[in-house]
Amino acid sequence: MHQTTKQRIIESSIRLFNTEGVANVRLQQIADEVGISVGNLAYHYKNKEAIVSAVYENLFEAFSEILAHFLQNPGLNDLDEQLDLYHAFFSQNKFYLIDLFEAERSYPDIIAQWQGFVSKMLLQLRKRLDYCVQRGLLIPEPAKGIYDILSNNIWLTIVFWIPQQVLKGQPSSKNLFKEAVWMQINPYFTPKGLSEYTSVVAPLSGQF
Amino acid sequence: MKSAFVLSPALYGKMLDLLSSLHFTEKLGNQSDMNFFRQDEWLYDTAVIEQVTARKGTWEIGLLFAHHQKPMKFLSRKITSHACPKRANMIAVYMRRQAAKDQRGTLSVSLSGFKLGLN
Repeated sequence: MHQTTKQRIIESSIRLFNTEGVANVRLQQIADEVGISVGNLAYHYKNKEAIVSAVYENLFEAFSEILAHFLQNPGLNDLDEQLDLYHAFFSQNKFYLIDLFEAERSYPDIIAQWQGFVSKMLLQLRKRLDYCVQRGLLIPEPAKGIYDILSNNIWLTIVFWIPQQVLKGQPSSKNLFKEAVWMQINPYFTPKGLSEYTSVVAPLSGQF
Repeated sequence: MKSAFVLSPALYGKMLDLLSSLHFTEKLGNQSDMNFFRQDEWLYDTAVIEQVTARKGTWEIGLLFAHHQKPMKFLSRKITSHACPKRANMIAVYMRRQAAKDQRGTLSVSLSGFKLGLN
């Protein structure tokens, strides 16, 4: 498929941001990676801030698509499919976490937007637990606040599991990632939930 | 600059609740809901015959759908009308070709199918 120069610039920038970090990448490097001159690069994006904003805009769009994948089907595999998307997103955009604190300083607007997405993501995870309780797949909340903590832990796993595996020098494959999430939900399954999990979700991840 | 629209978390939560409740309120339909489709299934295999008749100063185009094996099972519908007979005939042919399953017109009704008594 033919890509516009703008698209190529964004893709190369993401690649460089992932390996070098946002702060360390110079316009010359991006231009070299795309195979155009710095002057040509400046024609498309007037400075690095414009590139960073465009990269984040692309990220937000991709993230919105993941959030839109909420309860598209009633089964447990709906969460499993969303986890696939989350894994793909966070493994392709590692720089987001590396530069999280740097970005907070330099691009406050971007951080504000991220916080909006994070709060939606947390709410989705929490509401999904409620939905599973309503369907009889999870036991009712054993004590008030447990599912709030559980959804927060699931969120932590989704966002920070890949970097912590990298830190430990261990593989960060999709199946291990999904297992790390599902194993947190596992103790709360009802027999009905466990049977749906073993018949629908586990075979997809190659577990058991 | 106008700031971007932001949905409040409370409202977003409410929307997610509504979305989850959809899976509990939506029920499977009955088999009989699709009866209309099965009842009209025979129309797939019909010979289509165009009819142009003069009526109230215009030429009325009608299509007759007859079952190709049991021609006594038929359905006649008036579609439209035209002031010009030539135009009405032309449109009728196009309508017939569009409505017929077999556009070449090989799906036809045989006269013997009517079991006419000649006495």
